[in-house]
Amino acid sequence: MRRDADKEEAAVYQRVVRKNGAPYHYLKTHLVLEDESVRLSAVELKLFIISGLKNLYGEVGAALTFDLLKYNEDTLSALLRVHSRGLVKLWSSLTLLGSFQGQACCLQGPAGVSVPAGAVRKQS
Amino acid sequence: MCADLERIPRTLLVSERSSFQNQKNQLSAHVGQHHFNYKVSVLLPECGSAPPLLDAALNGFSSFYLIRNLPVYMLLDQDFLQTAVHQGSVYGLSFGCRVDEDPCVALMPNGRLVLSLDKDSFELLGFERKKYRFTKRATSRYVVSVNFSDSSMTPGGRGYQRLLTGLKTHLPLVVDFLVSHHPGGTTALQPLLSRYDWSEHRPSVSTRCLANLPCPLLTSDLQSCDPHSVLDWLGAVDADVSCENSSSSFLSTMVCPEPKTTASSALNMSVSGFLNPHEIHHLIQELRSYLDQSQLASWVALTVHGFTDSPVSWAGDERSVLWSGNTFYSLLLFKDDTYQLHLATGAHHTCPP
Repeated sequence: MRRDADKEEAAVYQRVVRKNGAPYHYLKTHLVLEDESVRLSAVELKLFIISGLKNLYGEVGAALTFDLLKYNEDTLSALLRVHSRGLVKLWSSLTLLGSFQGQACCLQGPAGVSVPAGAVRKQS
Repeated sequence: MCADLERIPRTLLVSERSSFQNQKNQLSAHVGQHHFNYKVSVLLPECGSAPPLLDAALNGFSSFYLIRNLPVYMLLDQDFLQTAVHQGSVYGLSFGCRVDEDPCVALMPNGRLVLSLDKDSFELLGFERKKYRFTKRATSRYVVSVNFSDSSMTPGGRGYQRLLTGLKTHLPLVVDFLVSHHPGGTTALQPLLSRYDWSEHRPSVSTRCLANLPCPLLTSDLQSCDPHSVLDWLGAVDADVSCENSSSSFLSTMVCPEPKTTASSALNMSVSGFLNPHEIHHLIQELRSYLDQSQLASWVALTVHGFTDSPVSWAGDERSVLWSGNTFYSLLLFKDDTYQLHLATGAHHTCPP
């Protein structure tokens, strides 16, 4: 009986397709500043992105939760995580960020994926 | 407007659970159909140093070649078709091209050549195309797919001549091209390598030891943990993202999914390059042997990432990036010879087979 049960277990094949089920999306982005010598800390970068959300979407936009998972101060590149429903808002505000402390800037190459390791590879 | 702002890009995650004892398991087919692999990551919980056989398997990935400024019509060269395409498996992919903007070329081991072109390039080429699936209103990308095993695509055939003329005179595409051959290697690719500037590259291997790693409690059924959470966590470990955050952290709230345990040590090994599926299959067999012999580990994970700018996904289906460029699969192997396979695709891909 035990052997039969083992065989039955071995024969299991299950396939599940989940559509639009990814709770989070990940963005790899790179900040380009006019003055290349300026450096930001991770906290400053996150505050800068929140200010962009506030400018574009107001207080409700500023309340959007997102995570700064990884940040390299030398290259100014960051890995962000956001709930899938907030992806459009975050992406659009990143695209429209054009000025940091009075100097021109842009966030290059927001590239979205639904796993963090995939975002790491995407070139800007 | 609010609805549009909250629109979620289409994502697909196909999860399969089966056993190596099951003769009809699809694992080999899935691995074999994902032709263009950029990176393979392996996570071994409760492992402090690289097991010799796994280390050998990771270091044993074949070399690949980068040919600079290759005219695409050279892929239709008779010598090349005879020595490489019709003898074994050729993997070829344009390098440094963006799939949504630039012409991209892929040569698959089944002898199919795929060109992903914009409208102007396609009209210059003057060759028939498949209907592109992901743009419903204005078609912006055109996919030309030919199979060198078709009678019309044998040298001298009508389709062959038309494509050759198109690529030589009307649309003289030149790309940097990554290529590898199984099992022939350099000898089989000599017709291409002898005429152009090329360089040989070895896949690069890296190993990271992780101490006191919080791990989700994984079991072989699909019930224990939400697959999205597990994949997020695997990705975070691979990308060296910390999961030790509290809910009140300002920068990040990412944590290991519950229920969880702590692995006293873990090893994260990865190899990146232009990796062919035969060798990934060999690596999976080595992982099974390792798991059989290991006293402590109850599972191991392997994640394979495809090239973001490949114009094809599983089994040669077309793809693009635009919203989201997912193209990977994750395999969780368990001690009882069962496995979970998670295949993910992004907004502009077809469902994995």
